[in-house]
Amino acid sequence: MKTFEESWTAWLDGKLSGRELSEFEASLPDKAAAEAEKADARKVGVLLRRELGVSALTNEEFFSHQLRERIRESSVPSGERDAKPSTWWTIPRLLWTGTASLAVFLVLTVFVVRDKNPAEESQYLTQILNARVDPVISPNATVSMFEVKQDRVTVLWTEGLQSLPADYAAK
Amino acid sequence: MGRWLAFLIPFVSLIAIAASGLEGAETVWSGLVIAENVAQPQSVPPELTRIEGSLKKFFGYNQFQVIGQSQKTLKTGQEDWLATSKFFGLHVDARGESAAGYVLNLQLYKEKELLLETNAKLSKRSPLVIKGPQVGSGQLLLVLVIQ
Repeated sequence: MKTFEESWTAWLDGKLSGRELSEFEASLPDKAAAEAEKADARKVGVLLRRELGVSALTNEEFFSHQLRERIRESSVPSGERDAKPSTWWTIPRLLWTGTASLAVFLVLTVFVVRDKNPAEESQYLTQILNARVDPVISPNATVSMFEVKQDRVTVLWTEGLQSLPADYAAK
Repeated sequence: MGRWLAFLIPFVSLIAIAASGLEGAETVWSGLVIAENVAQPQSVPPELTRIEGSLKKFFGYNQFQVIGQSQKTLKTGQEDWLATSKFFGLHVDARGESAAGYVLNLQLYKEKELLLETNAKLSKRSPLVIKGPQVGSGQLLLVLVIQ
């Protein structure tokens, strides 16, 4: 049992006959419109066959074509035929490049750290911000302060503090 | 094997450098020192070795004896501590850390009397010496060093 589409295609191609043809044409709702469509389809078929028709190759032409293709392929160098897109960054090279970068980073870091420490040493001396003595206990006391850059020592110098007996030197 | 070593060495070095950069805590040595001139001077305590020349030059004594001391490891820069002898007490109150060092408030007590008070920025590589009162034939010195 054919479907309607199969019967329609066969009818357009003129391949229905006998009882099958009469039954299909009886089933068409608008036979005149169908006939017009059939005529259009035939016209299109004729046009396509005329315009796009492929001329068949003769045996000689086909053989000649195959031969030319074979000669063209053999004249191209094998390196070019097998060439694939390649990159310099292979995995081993990536790994070694990473290692080398780390080594350079370490060397630079060591130099920076070494250069930084002497700068810190030379930059700062201890600073005395202020100082006071109890005026009741030591009314005549004075304070002064000085930095000895050569020895890197800061001294708070007091004068006039109350003197104490030697017993006060006990541990 | 050789390639693994090539990777291992830089990574271990990185970790070592990072670890060394993390060492932030520093120790402050605070000492009460009696400076005297004696016929047979004793050797200078190890904490004062690096400033022995300066002490002798500034104060003119040949012996330096520690009568009280304290070692404090600073972690936050906000700690306080006490170095004491039998009669003296040095109270140190750290009030923050800067690039230059630690800001300290120092108070010298004789028993319960406050003799001297000072505020200073103690540099990490610059000792502080304070001349205290005369004690017998010697002199009381206060020394602070970041070790």
